[in-house]
Amino acid sequence: MGVPRNERVRRDGDVEGDGALGLYVHVPFCAAICGYCNFNRGLLDEDLKRAYVTALTREIERSGDGRRVDSIFFGGGTPSLLAVEEVARVLDACGRAFDVAPDVETTLEMNPESCSPSYVSALLGAGINRISLGVQSFDDGELARLGRAHSAEQAREAFAAIRGAGCGNVSLDMMLWLPAQSRAACAASVEALVALAPDHASLYMLELYPNAPLREEAARRGWSQAPDEDAAAMYLDAFARTDAAGYEQYEISNVARPGRRSRHNLKYWRDGEWLGFGCGAHSTRGGVRWKNLSETARYVDAVEQGARVAETRRRLSVEERLGDALFTGLRLAEGIDVAVVGRRYGVDLEARYGSDVGRFVDAGWMTDAGGRWRLTRAGMLISNAVLSTFV
Amino acid sequence: MHHRQIRNFSIIAHIDHGKSTLADRFLEITGALRPREMEEQVLDSMDLERERGITIKAHAVRLSYTADDGESYVLNLIDTPGHVDFSYEVTRSLAACEGALLLVDASQGVEAQTVANAYLAVDNDLEIVPVINKVDLPGAQPDETAVQIEDLIGLDPSHALLASAKEGIGAREILEAVVARVPPPAGDPEAPLRALIFDSWYDAYRGVIVLIRVVEGAVRSRMKVRLMAAAQDYEVEQVGVFAPKPSAVAQLGVGEVGFLIANVKNVAEARIGDTVTEASRPAARPLPGFQETKPMVFAGLYPVESHQYSDLREALEKLRLNDAAFFFEPETSAALGFGFRCGFLGLLHMEIVQERLEREFDMDLVTTAPGVLYRVTTIDGDVFDIDSPAKLPDAGRIARVEEPVITAMILTPADQVGGILKLCQEKRGVQKALEYHAAHRVLISYELPFNEVVLDFYDRLKTLSRGYASLDYHVSGYWESPLVKLDLLVNGDPVDALSIIVHKEMAYARGRALVSKMRQLIPRQMFEVAIQAAVGTRIIARESVKALRKNVTAKCYGGDITRKRKLLERQKEGKRRMKRVGSVEIPQEAFLAVLKVDDD
Repeated sequence: MGVPRNERVRRDGDVEGDGALGLYVHVPFCAAICGYCNFNRGLLDEDLKRAYVTALTREIERSGDGRRVDSIFFGGGTPSLLAVEEVARVLDACGRAFDVAPDVETTLEMNPESCSPSYVSALLGAGINRISLGVQSFDDGELARLGRAHSAEQAREAFAAIRGAGCGNVSLDMMLWLPAQSRAACAASVEALVALAPDHASLYMLELYPNAPLREEAARRGWSQAPDEDAAAMYLDAFARTDAAGYEQYEISNVARPGRRSRHNLKYWRDGEWLGFGCGAHSTRGGVRWKNLSETARYVDAVEQGARVAETRRRLSVEERLGDALFTGLRLAEGIDVAVVGRRYGVDLEARYGSDVGRFVDAGWMTDAGGRWRLTRAGMLISNAVLSTFV
Repeated sequence: MHHRQIRNFSIIAHIDHGKSTLADRFLEITGALRPREMEEQVLDSMDLERERGITIKAHAVRLSYTADDGESYVLNLIDTPGHVDFSYEVTRSLAACEGALLLVDASQGVEAQTVANAYLAVDNDLEIVPVINKVDLPGAQPDETAVQIEDLIGLDPSHALLASAKEGIGAREILEAVVARVPPPAGDPEAPLRALIFDSWYDAYRGVIVLIRVVEGAVRSRMKVRLMAAAQDYEVEQVGVFAPKPSAVAQLGVGEVGFLIANVKNVAEARIGDTVTEASRPAARPLPGFQETKPMVFAGLYPVESHQYSDLREALEKLRLNDAAFFFEPETSAALGFGFRCGFLGLLHMEIVQERLEREFDMDLVTTAPGVLYRVTTIDGDVFDIDSPAKLPDAGRIARVEEPVITAMILTPADQVGGILKLCQEKRGVQKALEYHAAHRVLISYELPFNEVVLDFYDRLKTLSRGYASLDYHVSGYWESPLVKLDLLVNGDPVDALSIIVHKEMAYARGRALVSKMRQLIPRQMFEVAIQAAVGTRIIARESVKALRKNVTAKCYGGDITRKRKLLERQKEGKRRMKRVGSVEIPQEAFLAVLKVDDD
């Protein structure tokens, strides 16, 4: 069994962009550091930021091969620390280097404290057409405990500013199961989110990585997270509420109004291909996965000197690609098409995993119907226990 | 070499009291090793020994020493194992000597093991030379230590030598004392050969290397010899000495210590304590003191992966080549599949075997809780030993069960006595002696059921006394007890590997503790899991592990995939290492949890 030839690596049912690439642009700067975040980021330094944007445009231009691109995503860090002119320069570079679709989805992550109406309008003018706003909670006490630089009111104002500027595709990021959060408080935040009627929302159960400062602070101050039973209830309550409000839960942590799923993020879950630009950005294309130099200054130097920016680069084995396709695909409510994925990687999935799936179906964690394997919502809540079977 | 010029001695010491360091100094002084050949603590050759700071295999080193009187002597330093599991081996090593150094750490004082081994040395009529070590350390109390030596062991401390083996202080004086005070061996060189086997090990190239001490007669290469207890004859290929490197000699005569290679295939043929004699002119009687070492502690060893079964068997066979006291036979468990019931001299011996299997043979093992050998009499009058709870007959068929009893000697500072007495009572002990000695040291002697000691006695003793109490014991007999089998059920299925034999009156408390421990160890699963403890058909404790409710990775985007995959792989690996009983996955630690429960 060899590596599948390229033409067999076909995206199934990816209606939003058959075979097109996604571009991810990393912005590693923050105005303040949150105690729960372990993304690649550092405090803002204007000089470094200027050099960084130049490096980004160069990296994009030299990686370009004219391939179709249907999504561009500015993530971070805090991408809203970029000046509009900087965002525009990056988008121009993308346009020169790739075949950017006319209906490209162009997302930029924002924090409520950097959402002035004029800034948002200018971004939309520069080509941003989707904004993902990190509100995290609508409780000021919870926001303070998270070390966020904004209040719930500011989040509402930011949302209003984005809508006021005419953005018709807004996503809100929220966290569930915060330290010292009750089930009722969690539900109240979800209610506040629904009241704003965003087009898309991400509802994440908080994960505190082992050395997260917030973990230490929570331990010191006695902010405990609710027991598993309550955490499960928070999750189920939240998605029951978004169901009722007409959202579709299409992934473990994501809901959208019809037609408003994140085209960009679907690439990660539908075995798609994407290129990441900037320090620490990851790319996956043609069965090869690589990661850029993590350190901002080193990344900038490497680009300036025309040196390689990939720090690690690895060709994935067929088994790894299959495992990744299964565990990411099963995160989606639509699940995976057993025959299609099996054919793509030359494996009889039914023979290999049929009995495991049978057990999970009996437990109410999965469904096996219409040739697709899917997680139920209860299954999503314990998905690690299920997904670990497939890697 | 005339035997007048020979001195055979060993060092009696508690762990960490400086035995190996002192041995190193002797090697240096006698020039047995040049400095560049000096490897710290030459006598402890196995990795494991070095890590644990204990000596497991006995060795013998021949030192050539020119004493202050200008004469040359051969000093044979015979190393002794330093743990209670190997006390029989210690007696045989001591039997090969005429003298012993009693090495005591000046800041730690005399410990139980030292007392026990010193008594063994006295029983063997050895000349004992007390040495107070580590006198250079700030906490050293040489005077108090001397008082303890007199008071606890009954030795005259006025001739005790002061030393710091680490600094090399006093080492030469000790060798002088060995020459002057340890008597030379006596024996008839013309008598039929009698040599004591005090150690043996398997060498992949040479076969079994047998360490002997010649008591009478002589042994030389090409001689046909007989091992008297084994009743087997061999032709000697080579005799030699460790100086410390092996070198062949023409013969070993009266009082000499060395090795013998005679095409012995495995160590079980050349057992410690056996007598080597000449096949054509055998001695009338073997040397006294030979015993068959019998395993006293039993546990099941199972491969985590069932396909490793034959690898495990092979590994056990290899270990057995070198360890006559180790026993194993195939065993099947409904919970754990195919494995082996293994017998050990004691808990340390068990740990050593386990670690060697994992380290040297790369085995992943599940070990069941260790137990002892019970003697069962059925109502039909049959008497047999059982080494596993699974072999205990139904209660209705049992007339009586006897359990092995140890006599324990505990040496402790006076302020810890209360807690220790309470522990011994709780463990169903019977007090034999309670003596207050000098320097606030108390010697406590108890008869205790061995299975209670195997369970967790030593750990609790150490915790209770903050490490100050020391323990020595020997198995001293059997007594009858109302013992029952306590079963553990998971979702209604008995987990045979978790059954234990307990005293009837402790069954309830132990059952409750075990069930609650299991609740902590068994991870949440797809369904609620009921955990029950039962004696016969009677359920005496119950708890449940609620069904898994939440185990989700919230974020998984482009940069996370590799990391999240690793997380899932780890989870899968953890699951793979669990044992499935019915539909319940049980982690390996659970099978040893029986050991870690507190009854109170």
